Amino acid sequence: MYELIIIGGGPAGVAAGIYTARKKIKSLIITESFGGQSFLSAGIENWIGTKSVSGFDFAKMLEDHLRAQEGIDIIDDDRVASMEKSGEKFLLTTKSGKNFETKYILMATGSERKKLNVPGEKELEGRGVSYCSICDAPLFKDKEVAVVGSGNAGLEAVIDLFPYATKIYLLERSEMLKGDPVTQGKIISNKKVEILKMAEVVSIEGKDFVSGIRYKDLKGGNEKVVPIGGIFVEIGAVPSSELVKGLVEMTPYGEVIVDHKTQQTSDAGIWAAGDITDVLYKQNNISAGDAVKAILNIDDKLRKK
Amino acid sequence: MSVKIYTTPSCVYCRMAKEFFKKNNVEFQELNVVQDDKARDEMVKKSRQLAVPVIDVNGEIFVGFDQRGLKKALGIA
Repeated sequence: MYELIIIGGGPAGVAAGIYTARKKIKSLIITESFGGQSFLSAGIENWIGTKSVSGFDFAKMLEDHLRAQEGIDIIDDDRVASMEKSGEKFLLTTKSGKNFETKYILMATGSERKKLNVPGEKELEGRGVSYCSICDAPLFKDKEVAVVGSGNAGLEAVIDLFPYATKIYLLERSEMLKGDPVTQGKIISNKKVEILKMAEVVSIEGKDFVSGIRYKDLKGGNEKVVPIGGIFVEIGAVPSSELVKGLVEMTPYGEVIVDHKTQQTSDAGIWAAGDITDVLYKQNNISAGDAVKAILNIDDKLRKK
Repeated sequence: MSVKIYTTPSCVYCRMAKEFFKKNNVEFQELNVVQDDKARDEMVKKSRQLAVPVIDVNGEIFVGFDQRGLKKALGIA
């Protein structure tokens, strides 16, 4: 039985792992990968102490630092499928069927990409529906495509597609584009881009592969179909808190509510840190710091008893 | 053992998969589907997918970097 199981391998999970090892807490970290959402970033320029680092190298830095610690068990190819409270302890089962018992839990599962939840999206994922423009943009050479969402991630997806796609429709639900003005400028000046504001996606069309996108013009009220070969969905993130649903209190958005002094949740045995929580600012540096707070608090609890 | 990986140069999961092969001494053939249209068609035909990486381990097709699945297919403990 462990004293603590940390779930997640982003900046929060890894910071927690390093501190927990140094505190000699009997602990296990379970993650499928390292680096968190920044893994897909072309460059991170605000991680303190590092001028610029790619998401790939960032993930490696975190992993190496964690593996340099003694006394923490690491599972890096599995995910927790279910969690159950049994008296004073928790029982965890992973996707591959392993079972673990622990006194305390730290949730550092971050957040995941928001889906459109429209017909055709799930069926055509990987068949023209993509959530990774940096990965898949080159596959849409000489095709017309759509990007949904005009935050920074959406604008960057448009830029990733510039060298390949022949035409890029940018769909935004509101009246204004959302991302940084500098990036907006780069997009507006490009002739390949057609911006569709007040456009709400209704469905994604296609049989084997994406062939079009149906959207509702919120101004006129009518539906239109644009023939395209690919669609990149960039509409933000939702907290990965499914695992603790019913166990801890959450905001209506699914963020785990924590005491911001200690990171403890409404369950005295569960702490949370990073993007899964109701922290106001979702940032790598903050996630790491909040995880450190959690471990110090957990250590206090363990030593008092 | 024949391992093929279909990649794009900017794809981070592809890079991760290649590092995984190197770490485990798995020989692999890399096909860049941006430069090689034939490889691109082959990838789409094999996987019925338009996403990278696609990994072919002796005919077993993986879309994305599925570490646990790959370990199993390659017999890595």
